[in-house]
Amino acid sequence: MIEVKDVTKSFGSFEALHGVSFTARDGEITGLIGPNGAGKTTTLRILYTVLRPDQGHAVIDGFDAVQQRQEVQRRIGVLPDNRGLYPRLTAREHVRYYGRLHGMDKPVLEARIDELMQQLEMEDIADRRTKGFSKGQTLKVALARALVHEPHNVMFDEPTNGLDISASRAVRALIRSIRDEGRCVLFCSHIMPEVEALCDRIVVIAEGRVVADGTPDELRREAGQRDLEEVFLATVADGRREVA
Amino acid sequence: MLTNIWIVFHKETIDNVRDRRSLFMALIYPFIGALLLGLLLAFVGGMFKRQARVADTTVPISYKLPVHGAEMAPDLVAFLQQNGIEVVPAPLDPRRAVRKGNADIVLVLTNSYEENFKTMQPAKVRVVINASRLSTVLTVSRIVSKLREFADQVSRKRLRELGVPQDAAQPLLIQNDNVGRSRSLAGFFLNMLPPFIIFTIFVGGVYLAIDTTSGERERGSLEPLLANPIPRWQLMFGKALATFLFTLTAVVFQLIAFKIMFEIVTRSDVGVVVNPGSDIFALALLVAAPLIAFAVAIQIIVATVSRSYKETQTYLGLLPLIPSLPGMIMVFIPVKAKIWMMGVPTFSQVLLIGKLMRDEGIRPVETLVSISSTAAVAALLFVLAARLYDRDKLVFGG
Repeated sequence: MIEVKDVTKSFGSFEALHGVSFTARDGEITGLIGPNGAGKTTTLRILYTVLRPDQGHAVIDGFDAVQQRQEVQRRIGVLPDNRGLYPRLTAREHVRYYGRLHGMDKPVLEARIDELMQQLEMEDIADRRTKGFSKGQTLKVALARALVHEPHNVMFDEPTNGLDISASRAVRALIRSIRDEGRCVLFCSHIMPEVEALCDRIVVIAEGRVVADGTPDELRREAGQRDLEEVFLATVADGRREVA
Repeated sequence: MLTNIWIVFHKETIDNVRDRRSLFMALIYPFIGALLLGLLLAFVGGMFKRQARVADTTVPISYKLPVHGAEMAPDLVAFLQQNGIEVVPAPLDPRRAVRKGNADIVLVLTNSYEENFKTMQPAKVRVVINASRLSTVLTVSRIVSKLREFADQVSRKRLRELGVPQDAAQPLLIQNDNVGRSRSLAGFFLNMLPPFIIFTIFVGGVYLAIDTTSGERERGSLEPLLANPIPRWQLMFGKALATFLFTLTAVVFQLIAFKIMFEIVTRSDVGVVVNPGSDIFALALLVAAPLIAFAVAIQIIVATVSRSYKETQTYLGLLPLIPSLPGMIMVFIPVKAKIWMMGVPTFSQVLLIGKLMRDEGIRPVETLVSISSTAAVAALLFVLAARLYDRDKLVFGG
């Protein structure tokens, strides 16, 4: 379970987050949506321990992301917006590197790598160096290394960004399968149909605040709109008005 | 903890070994340094050796001297021959021959020579030389001094015939006493070793420090890496160890290259008998090791606070010049080592490696102060690097 409790974060004079709170539950897919620069990535970065909140807490499975950083890190799998690879390492070596950093034993790790290669249909590229990989291939490697230790909580930032239709579909299937195992999924996306198709809950962020939080149906009802895209635009506009 | 550091170190090492081009460049540099120095040593050494033989007045010279009009001066030719100078016919245009470097020196006896010599008038001898050719200076002065000797001999003979005491014609008795030895030339070259080694210490692994910090950030692989359950200082230290290993390798390569260079130069008979032993090179490596840690720490700090790969490259490209500077200056102006200097990283290594190479011996206390103080400064810098790695800014740079 992922809990964000009244988190504030500033960069210099720019206040990126003003008291963001929401919860992503186990066995659910929670979508974090909002316009560009709303604070989605900053929120995720605080959750996956790369940034520290100025105030408030990011709590994962009961562990504080600042005070118990390593406990948190053990329980999360992350696909950040920045998903760079090492061009001179093979796909398999990328996954092995992260697995080892998670303290996995060699036989368990190697078996798990084989499983992932099969699951993500990347056996053909498993032992190739990643230099020159396509976006889809790069994403597969990044996903495999994020999931190698079977984390209970996974966070994806724009997971289908730049993928073709079949690859996007495969990623959505993967996200659903993770949820169906009772794990907690938090993901950011710009693509409304995707959010609608996947999310059990939606958290809308605008200008560093949560402006809406609920199931897609709840949000539709509140906004009085049937199309989620319209819901999104309406809530963001409302949120902005409130801030002003 | 050690496992984590080892995992990062292992990954960075494998990654870097596969970067063939960077690796090749990093290892070729130490060889180029030694090669340049070797060639310089062979060239200058050979030149000095030839000149030293010429300058040494106790050793007779053997030289083929072109003389124009030699048939007019049998006495002079005989004298020169006795002194190992063989007279050969002069080129048609002596001035041109000397200017073009076909001859170092040509004597031209004027037509009136024979007449004037017989009648005890000054007989004119023109000495055609090219003073701008430094390599001929010693030969020329040696031959000119032989001419003077001949003139003295003739004048003493004439005075004797006139009944004047010979010594009256020689008011001064000048003797040269040159205390310089050919070893001092080698000493000059040995002084050039420390700056080369210091330079390698600061550039040998720099690309790795840049690639594993600024590069990792720019590639976008830093963020997911930071989400792994490993304290950031361990991440930093694993990267630092990999950088240390490759810098150390570059320094070892360079020391081996220097050793090979000295072996070749000594054996090739260019007259430079200097060849520091392998034990000297091993000690130099021991003295250099803490400075490598110091250099790596600075590189990681710079790479961490720089905004981009390019910015890091710019800063770190300038960095080696600063620590190499004292060494370069000391090539020309040797400094006598004092104990406080051993506390200064870079400076102490320049002094100690210089002393080692010149075979002056180093005192254990000096070595101990140098190693421990540089290691302590390096440790402090690593603490600073760890703090910098722990900042939020790590993912953005700056």
